[in-house]
Amino acid sequence: MQKTTHLFKSFFIEVGELSYFAGRFFREVFSRPFEFKELLRQCYSVGNRSILLVGVTGFIIGLVLTLQTRPTLEEFGAVSWMPSMVSISIIREIGPVIIALTFAGRIASGIGAELGSMKVTEQIDAMEVSGTNPFKFLVVTRILATTLMLPILVVFGDAIALYGSYIIENLKGDVSFVLYFNKVFNALEFSDIIPATIKTFFFGFAIGLVGCFKGYNCEKGTVGVGLAANSAVVFSSMLLFVLDFIAVFVTDIFFEI
Amino acid sequence: MKKTSKETFNLGLFVIIGMAIFIAAIYFIGEQKNMFDKTFTISANFNNVNGLMQGNNVRYSGINVGTVKNINMINDSTINVELVINEKMVKHIKKDAIATIGSDGLVGNMIVNIIPGEGSAQPISQGDIIESYTKIGTGEMLNTLNTTNENAALLTSKLLDIVNSINKGKGTLGMLIKDTLVAGDVKLTLENLKHASLEANNTMLGLNALIHKIDMDNSVAGVLLNDTTEANKVRHIISNLETSSLEIKKVITNLNETITNIKEGEGAINYLSNDPEFAKQIEESLKNINEGTKKFDENMEALKHNFLFRGYFKKLEKEEKRAEKK
Amino acid sequence: MNQKQHIHEVEGLSTKTRMLEIKDLRKSFGNNHVLNGFNLELFEGENLVIMGKSGSGKSVMIKCLVGLMQPDSGSIRVMGKDITKLNRVELDDIRTEIGFLFQGNALYDSMTVRENLEFPLRRHKQKFGDIKDTTPLVTEALESVGLAHTMDLMPSELSGGMQKRIALARALILKPRIILYDEPTSGLDPITSKEIIELMRRVQKQYKTSSLIITHDVDCARVVSERMILLVDGTNYAEGTFAELASSKDEQVKAFFK
Repeated sequence: MQKTTHLFKSFFIEVGELSYFAGRFFREVFSRPFEFKELLRQCYSVGNRSILLVGVTGFIIGLVLTLQTRPTLEEFGAVSWMPSMVSISIIREIGPVIIALTFAGRIASGIGAELGSMKVTEQIDAMEVSGTNPFKFLVVTRILATTLMLPILVVFGDAIALYGSYIIENLKGDVSFVLYFNKVFNALEFSDIIPATIKTFFFGFAIGLVGCFKGYNCEKGTVGVGLAANSAVVFSSMLLFVLDFIAVFVTDIFFEI
Repeated sequence: MKKTSKETFNLGLFVIIGMAIFIAAIYFIGEQKNMFDKTFTISANFNNVNGLMQGNNVRYSGINVGTVKNINMINDSTINVELVINEKMVKHIKKDAIATIGSDGLVGNMIVNIIPGEGSAQPISQGDIIESYTKIGTGEMLNTLNTTNENAALLTSKLLDIVNSINKGKGTLGMLIKDTLVAGDVKLTLENLKHASLEANNTMLGLNALIHKIDMDNSVAGVLLNDTTEANKVRHIISNLETSSLEIKKVITNLNETITNIKEGEGAINYLSNDPEFAKQIEESLKNINEGTKKFDENMEALKHNFLFRGYFKKLEKEEKRAEKK
Repeated sequence: MNQKQHIHEVEGLSTKTRMLEIKDLRKSFGNNHVLNGFNLELFEGENLVIMGKSGSGKSVMIKCLVGLMQPDSGSIRVMGKDITKLNRVELDDIRTEIGFLFQGNALYDSMTVRENLEFPLRRHKQKFGDIKDTTPLVTEALESVGLAHTMDLMPSELSGGMQKRIALARALILKPRIILYDEPTSGLDPITSKEIIELMRRVQKQYKTSSLIITHDVDCARVVSERMILLVDGTNYAEGTFAELASSKDEQVKAFFK
């Protein structure tokens, strides 16, 4: 019983600290000086270095989703509905969530480990002493980078996933490129693509925030660094699903689909 | 420093490509919704819009030409549907065009079909209200088809009865048919019967071909059920079927009367034995009728097994059972 | 500039200017009272060694000195200014006058040696005016530790001793008036330790700084110190020159020099 209360207590403390951390981010993101150069550097290492991963993931999602759905649709003689079905499920849900999850696996753990080891080896203190606000230099830039890069990566991944789906349709059926994408864009509405893109900003923010939070508050020692990296992935993935639920819920209310 | 500028370049490239894909997607979706073309608005009044919604497609002769902009209730039985049409189509749509509401496949969205008028009226202009007609729904169509089928089944059994009685009563018939007048009557009736059965047969063939078409078509039987011309064809065939079955009924009543006449037996001659050719004819036409009705039954059976109609027939069965229980 | 003038005026008044002054410093973590009224004065041009067992609060004290930690009570004056009462900008100004050599070097391992040295220059440019080219400053700092050739290497490619020197070069690049050494010889072999100690002395002369050295290494203390403070249980236990303390009869003091 006591263990459970303790568990709940520590969970609430964790959430509370994370909220403070987020609050500090919003305070510092709008105040001078801006670490623009470092932001670009982080955008590069977060964005460009993830292209391959996101591309491969997206492509495989497209292939697998199409291959798996095809027999069922074939049974109903509704294979011509494939582009609409695949595009809606990829754009609205599967693309953002799966790409955000792989992104979390790569980036949240990376940030957690990097900031954690910087904390442990006093590099963060050294920055502070050098007159650079380490929160601005390390945390704000990273959170901004993940927030800005994930939506672009998702757009990228979605496009590649749809292309993968097209390849299967083209091989198994006889659908031309133009027809496939005509059907895709015919099926899609603004109410599919806009909320899905907006929520990826929140996903990116959550991944950067949790990664930085875990790293910045890392315990001493090598064990602490490993723990920071690990819990950054777990916590951010969990947060992703919570955010996704909220996003779908809100979208449902606003667009009345 | 060089490394950094290369990184920045790559980052810029990546961001621009990503944005371009996103903007292209937005553009293509918008284009599908006619957002970037010049448009004009026309409207049509309906009694029932069958769940039509804002943003549904408008087709002219099967081409997407616009979307539904607005649906307003004008009074308790009239609904005004505003349609946004691509301006490029203005010269093709005439004032006598007719708007109908259909569905894009059995499970698809509702759409508005604009059918070209027969005459050569003026091109349509902004704000025009075009004619509309509410087409029979799939359900109604199938109902009619079923009634026809039941009728046909009834006829077949009656015809069978007659054939049996003729077959049995060869002697009686031979004995009874003696009057030339009666004989002529019988001949005429039987010829009529043959004609009717042939017609029924033709109709069956037509229906058969159509059903084959349904099966052949990959799409969810969509074309048949939302294309008005096809639907009209079906309707035509069904009404034909009904007329022919009515005709058969008439012929049978005639035949029955004749037979009763013969049975009552005034001056009957052995016409049948004298004219074996004619006897054969009777038998053949009866066979024809039999075959025709059988085929019709088969068609109905096929229709029942077609998955699209399965649900409908199951519903019918259930209703029948419920009726029986009562 | 005002501040510097002020310091010069003070210099004129007394022969020895107080660079650092800590009064009754207290800091505790929960029930663990790490610092219990610690006092310290560092005069200009002096090498002061603080010795204490590990866990005696040396590191906490030095972090309080540069504002990395907030003390519970007590005052810390750096060149006459109480750093516990400064805002961020003023604090950063004061920090340009303090070089900090971290125990674990704290070199940024994602950056080259050059970028590491340039890092303090990013925000503290006002000290030298607006400089476009940082290369002369970086080269000068590297040369003073004898490692000018490592400029484009990554810290991970260097040995422990070299890393320590680079860290020292980074601490020196802003030409601070005070240098804080946190365990400068820990984790190094005796020979390298000696080299580092030599370097510390040379730097002291070259840059004319005052130094506060925290260590538990007796050899280091003997060579470097001009004055020593023994830190026991969070307070000053004993104070004096190395010779004085080494010959002390006190049991606790003796324990340090065994």
